[in-house]
Amino acid sequence: MDRTCLRLWQREGSLSVNTVKNNDDSDMATDRLKHSGPEIQAPSSVVRQSSLKLSRLRRFVALGIIMLFLLQFVRIKILVGGLGGSVAVWFVKILDVFAYTESLTASGDFTLAAFGAVVPVLGMYLILGRAFCGWVCPMDFLFEVIGKTGRKPRKTPNISPVWGYAVVGSFLIASGVMGVPVFTNYFSHLTNFFRFLTGTVSFGLGFPVEPEVIVFSGGTIAALLVLEYFFPRFWCRGLCPIGRIYGLFNKVSLLRLAFTEGVCGECSLCDQQCYMGVKIARNIDRSSLRDVNCIYCGRCAEGCATKGKIVSLRFWR
Amino acid sequence: MSDKPRQRVREAGGKHQALGLFADTAMQITRRAFLGLSVTGSALALFGSAVSCSDQPPDSGEGVAGPLSIFPVGGSIRPPGALPEKQFRAKCISCGVCVNVCHVMKYDAVAVAGLKDIRNFGTPQIRDMRDFPCALCMECPGQCPTGALKKTEKEKVSMGMALIDFSLCFGWNGDVCLSCSKACPMGGSIFDFYNGEWGNQPYINDNCVGCGLCVKYCPLGGSAIKVVTKKQYERVKGQYVADSRKLMAMQGEQRYAIVYGQNLPQIMAKGRLVEREYR
Ligand code: SF4
Ligand code: SF4
Ligand code: SF4
Ligand code: SF4
Repeated sequence: MDRTCLRLWQREGSLSVNTVKNNDDSDMATDRLKHSGPEIQAPSSVVRQSSLKLSRLRRFVALGIIMLFLLQFVRIKILVGGLGGSVAVWFVKILDVFAYTESLTASGDFTLAAFGAVVPVLGMYLILGRAFCGWVCPMDFLFEVIGKTGRKPRKTPNISPVWGYAVVGSFLIASGVMGVPVFTNYFSHLTNFFRFLTGTVSFGLGFPVEPEVIVFSGGTIAALLVLEYFFPRFWCRGLCPIGRIYGLFNKVSLLRLAFTEGVCGECSLCDQQCYMGVKIARNIDRSSLRDVNCIYCGRCAEGCATKGKIVSLRFWR
Repeated sequence: MSDKPRQRVREAGGKHQALGLFADTAMQITRRAFLGLSVTGSALALFGSAVSCSDQPPDSGEGVAGPLSIFPVGGSIRPPGALPEKQFRAKCISCGVCVNVCHVMKYDAVAVAGLKDIRNFGTPQIRDMRDFPCALCMECPGQCPTGALKKTEKEKVSMGMALIDFSLCFGWNGDVCLSCSKACPMGGSIFDFYNGEWGNQPYINDNCVGCGLCVKYCPLGGSAIKVVTKKQYERVKGQYVADSRKLMAMQGEQRYAIVYGQNLPQIMAKGRLVEREYR
């Protein structure tokens, strides 16, 4: 489908049949639109506003959480630690699911204390699915910044989630064999992001810091950013074990991608907007989609020509 | 890491033969050295110890044994309440909660280990205790999300063991100081004092929890105390105890030679390293 045409659609905010008419491949879409014409003329501005809010809200949440973590450096203890493991408001311990799994495999010792720390996370993502990736993970934000550096649009090679499960499996085996939580301790972007922050800030405050800590952690993050530059979201889609584990939550979570029937123009705007490579348009006949790669960023809903009428993030149903 | 302390012991063993007082200690050490050293080397050492059993008076200056140059090096001192090292390593995910809790508490005692020991990378360890001892506020153990640090009573903490270097301590070299005992949060249950003509000699017993406060408050430049891990302590304990006894039992002449010939010059030299004392 013609791109400019789609743009026009988007800008005008209304799906007049005339706009689409010139396009040959869109016969079917036009047909559908004809059927449900009146509904489409619905006041799109309202929906549009709310979906824009979603995108902003997402950044607000991610940066807000990082800000709360930054407060620990000025000795305000709301969130202490990092996203791998932390303590909220003095007593609520929080532990990332994959970090916990690795720690458990490495030590072979189940304790209620540690399990108690994953429970809040399990509970949260049983409701929200893989929303961690889209709403909390600092890399999502950094990757977006990289995306804005004006790099040429590149195609991310398709990578099956199976690779991710292989990564999960091999790190768990390595942890078990070596008796060290290998990924979380050495390579995790969550650990390294906050280790880098802590290291740099301590250094800035004049405390002795081992320089390797800053270099190694900064280097790991930089490597991921370079990967992002050349293969957008290759890491998130395929390799990241943390995301893979949260992806499993998508299968049972309350939050899901929901579709409303009958008004889709099959323009694939949603697919173009999704940087996680979820195939939305072709699943539109279902009532909802539970893709392990969906991070509930809501860009599909925002991008949808109907401004979120067809695709939306929804609890229940 | 495992090699260095043993080497130190070996050297110290060699020196002790000159004293000829505690020949059994010397023999024991030499025997231990025998296992590790080449046959020739240890045979020579044995020969040396046999010779030195005759009552040669110690020379002043170079030849005199400074008791205990055995301080082990290496090994990480963990925050209080850490599980035994292997379990600790398996559980800790380098989340940084303990590091930052300590920062919030304004002690800044915990830092993340670098790549010196790749296995320990990212795990928390106590910084140089001369500047950043653990104040035993006991905040971090309760907050570790993985349980690598476990809530513990203050008295039962076992981070390490403080060893006083008798050749550097003012109290063991003709003075009264006792700053360390005043700084120690455990006080009387840990410090034994041996008053004598050579000073008010403090001795830290096995109840030490290894927090390092004494290390910080020792007025000697660079501190006369070092906290070593409990494991390292087990290795040198025998000799450490024997050396303290030996010093206390030592007759005036000999002790005089050691204090004036060797220790005081060292102390004076160290005393100039005041870069950190009163920050
Ligand atoms: S809080 Fe626990 S898991 Fe986190 S770095 Fe410290 S010891 Fe390791
Ligand atoms: S007990 Fe307190 S002073 Fe000691 S390491 Fe933990 S937080 Fe720091
Ligand atoms: S002797 Fe030193 S290290 Fe041991 S408990 Fe007392 S102050 Fe802490
Ligand atoms: S503070 Fe230092 S010099 Fe003073 S008695 Fe203790 S170890 Fe010796």
